[in-house]
Amino acid sequence: MILPETKQLRTLFPGSARHNSKSNSDSHSDALMDQGIDSNETLFSQGNEPSVPDGMWVKCGKCQGTIYSRQLCSYKVCPDCKGHFRISAWETIRLVTDKDSFNEWDENLTSSDPIDFPGYAQKVAALADALDVNEAVVTGRCLIHGVDTVLCVMDSNFIMGSMGSVVGEKITRAFEKAIENCLPITIFTASGGARMQEGIISLMQMAKVSAAVKRHSDAGLLYITVLTDPTTGGVTASYAMLGDIVLAEPGALIGFAGRRVIEQTIKKRLPDNFQSAEFAQENGFIDKIVSRDNMKGTLGNILKLHCRKPVACEGTTFQYFGEPCDTEPSEVVEISRKATRPTSRDVIAHIVTDFVEFHGDRNFRDDGAIVGGVGYLGDMPITVIATQKGSNLQENVATNFGQPHPEGYRKALRLMMQAEKFGRPILTLINTSGAYPAASAEERGQGEAIAQNLFNMAGLKVPVLSVIVGEGGSGGALALALADKVFMFNYSIYSILSPEGFASILWRDSERAKEAASVMKLRPKDLLEMQVIEGVIPEVDGGFDNDPSYSLDYLKQLLVHEFAELLQKTEQELLDGRYDRFRKFGAY
Amino acid sequence: MFNKILIANRGEIAVRIIRACKELGIATVAIFSEADRDALHVQMADEAVCVGASPSKDSYLNMHNILSAVLLTKADAVHPGFGFLSENDTFVAMCEDCNIKFIGPSADAISAMGNKANARTLMKSAGVPTIPGSDGTVDCVEEAVEFANSYGYPVLLKASAGGGGKGIRLCENENELRESYAAAKTEARLAFSNDAIYMEKVIRNARHIEVQIIADEHGNIIHLGERECSMQLRNQKVLEEAPSIGMNPELRAQLGEIAILAARACDYKNAGTVEFLMDEDKRFYFMEMNTRIQVEHPITEMITGFDIVKEQISIARGNRLSIRQEDVQLNGHSIECRINATTAGLIDYLFLPAGGLGIRVDSGIYAGYTVPTFYDSMLAKVISHGESREEAIAKMNRALGELVISGIKTNIDFQLQILESENFLQGEYYTTTLAQMIESQEIKP
Repeated sequence: MILPETKQLRTLFPGSARHNSKSNSDSHSDALMDQGIDSNETLFSQGNEPSVPDGMWVKCGKCQGTIYSRQLCSYKVCPDCKGHFRISAWETIRLVTDKDSFNEWDENLTSSDPIDFPGYAQKVAALADALDVNEAVVTGRCLIHGVDTVLCVMDSNFIMGSMGSVVGEKITRAFEKAIENCLPITIFTASGGARMQEGIISLMQMAKVSAAVKRHSDAGLLYITVLTDPTTGGVTASYAMLGDIVLAEPGALIGFAGRRVIEQTIKKRLPDNFQSAEFAQENGFIDKIVSRDNMKGTLGNILKLHCRKPVACEGTTFQYFGEPCDTEPSEVVEISRKATRPTSRDVIAHIVTDFVEFHGDRNFRDDGAIVGGVGYLGDMPITVIATQKGSNLQENVATNFGQPHPEGYRKALRLMMQAEKFGRPILTLINTSGAYPAASAEERGQGEAIAQNLFNMAGLKVPVLSVIVGEGGSGGALALALADKVFMFNYSIYSILSPEGFASILWRDSERAKEAASVMKLRPKDLLEMQVIEGVIPEVDGGFDNDPSYSLDYLKQLLVHEFAELLQKTEQELLDGRYDRFRKFGAY
Repeated sequence: MFNKILIANRGEIAVRIIRACKELGIATVAIFSEADRDALHVQMADEAVCVGASPSKDSYLNMHNILSAVLLTKADAVHPGFGFLSENDTFVAMCEDCNIKFIGPSADAISAMGNKANARTLMKSAGVPTIPGSDGTVDCVEEAVEFANSYGYPVLLKASAGGGGKGIRLCENENELRESYAAAKTEARLAFSNDAIYMEKVIRNARHIEVQIIADEHGNIIHLGERECSMQLRNQKVLEEAPSIGMNPELRAQLGEIAILAARACDYKNAGTVEFLMDEDKRFYFMEMNTRIQVEHPITEMITGFDIVKEQISIARGNRLSIRQEDVQLNGHSIECRINATTAGLIDYLFLPAGGLGIRVDSGIYAGYTVPTFYDSMLAKVISHGESREEAIAKMNRALGELVISGIKTNIDFQLQILESENFLQGEYYTTTLAQMIESQEIKP
């Protein structure tokens, strides 16, 4: 101190409290609130002294932080923790539809009182008066990025978005009109579940709507659900989970039974992220988590992609120039495994535009070793499914070094069936040393999962092309390669087993892998001769990491050409061709 | 006048503002972080409030806490200084909402000038000259050649999705441009998966010249002449002088008018600085506007005899500008050297070269003060003023020769080398000169 102490220093916000975010944020709020009360008297008498106006601050329900209300914008997303506030049906409609395009249906449908529940009719009437909706769902038809779609948006402000007769009826009618007009349907769910005040009639809505979803699906039409906070109970257990594509907002509560009920039943504390959108995605039930500011764009992409039918373009010419190299097999093995080799994701990024990744097997887990989704190859919508290796340790932990679990193969199959429903060609990219050999994989039926893929791929009514990008190891590779045509990168391999495994089984010495490679005939050159593959993607010397564009531009043109040719075939020709392709293998 | 002002800053600028308030008879509130408990501004202010932990984001950038401090101390205005929240339009909007006077421009003006691309568009439409560039992408080589022909070589090809210096190519002539164009596109595609390219003219041997403007809330705007800030390293100004050696009264009046035009275009209030590049033919190009008081404002004060901070406070209270454009007379020459710490730690001895006509030291340090590691490294600004540039240089040499800051390392020797360099003495220096002098080992940092 160089100046005489003339005053008391005030420490309103002891910095050490920052380490404990909870107590710290409490102290902020207290200080602000104290001030608000403290200064009120003078404020209101003088009118122009500094004060905090009402509504200037809002509290984030997720991070408990104090947010400047102007920073919430129309998306109502916390600028600090990105937590999504609950918003009304009409707010959602304004955010996702093209301006003035929403045309509401059945706006005057109101519920009667099926079980004469005391006070119910009055409650419904009072809410209808107070809110800008008169039931827990708003339905209608609109444009999203120019695509005509049916849209239903639930509103959690109305008896927690619970599903009574009117909710069930409006949504069922929306499905029926969608079928009648051959339209896709998008539903934003927000619901506590069935409506207790309507008893068993409410329960029946689950079945009624699900049956309508089934008819819509059988008509080959697209259904997208967007799960928002909260989506629980009977809504989760019916139409929320039945979308062809299930999206969710970040952090949304998604579940069937309530957390408290479960904790009390099993007498255990559940993890913090239990029943969050992220938890549901990890467990394989959500295709994609989409933040509110990206929602309209993502919906627009998906809807547009489903409008366009792939058509065979006639008269495409293509100059093949991939000559297989005659490099030493062991060297090809080495290059195919190089850490710097572009991964399947890199290949997708180069050849597919507007790629939207979909997660999960809708059963057990989302497997990071399988990447799948939709996008465009040139002008043509396709489904892409790939085994993904990482390019560093962290990525490899996430992708399990490119070794899929059974749920990975089941995710792949789910996306293939989805592609078939919408008539989309399928591209698979393969780079795996093999299916994951582990107890957990066996418990969940690794063999069964691979078998199901082979069985179902044989019957897919859409063109399927496979490309081996790096390693094509055994059944784990074949599970994505029962295709109309199979291509290989020049420095990739495709074999019954890894050379190490081969040496280990035949000679009980995995050290003799080099020798194994030389006899296994695993190079594109050998496989082309044996007609196991149809062609080779050229690579510059040493591998396509040295010049990715050279190989990938070629690959893209090749695929465009091959799909165009396959699309000219009838379904039966396609199926027969695929059958014959594999029927021919055998030496006797 | 205001009764009490909270200074939402630290270091020498906080001290500078507190001094102005004291002279105006306005009570002051300092804010401080945990690391700044013993800082000079905390001791000088009438009240001081701790607003959080040492990292800036928890204290000097903590809008919520700072607003609370304003309300608790019943201050009626906030002076933001420079840096920290001074150009944060959200904070300004919060102050506006709470009926707290922010001593500076409106949130709208800050946000209009804050986004570089927006500011450029706004300035172009207001008729302020900007650095020629292709507005949007250049999609074929002929378009690129056409652009270069109309603005002259050299030009830069830049990847739209680029950053960090990647995907930038310098082309000196048409041959180079034709050769580089395809390569730049490929490079951009591989590096950023996006081959969009845009172009910009390169201003060779550019001087960084900025104009101080000040506007009241009644539509009056004046300029206080220019500052020459070309002596810089990695976009950090090191030494500034006013007036600029390359200027004359006609050019100054012309540039001043352009600066006022820029300020009017965003409905600017209070003090601000419009930064320009000046090319060898003395043509000016708008770079950006700093919507706040600047570090180097004292040299303008020295040659105009006009206290900018006091005027900021007066204007914020709603008063009209106290002088008119014709009252602004430039008198002599002034130089500022920024004295930075190159290490943190305890200053165990300090001698400031105060004394004598025409030397001013603005600082936030004292003997026994420990320089914290969390903030900007600037310790003090030594400002000299003389009848001529030569006299100002001589005074600066004398002052820096006397200045002692012991216990930590500083850039005093570096500044003395600049003062002695031929480029500086001749006034022949551009924004790239200091880096070149270091590269050629003429000066050792």
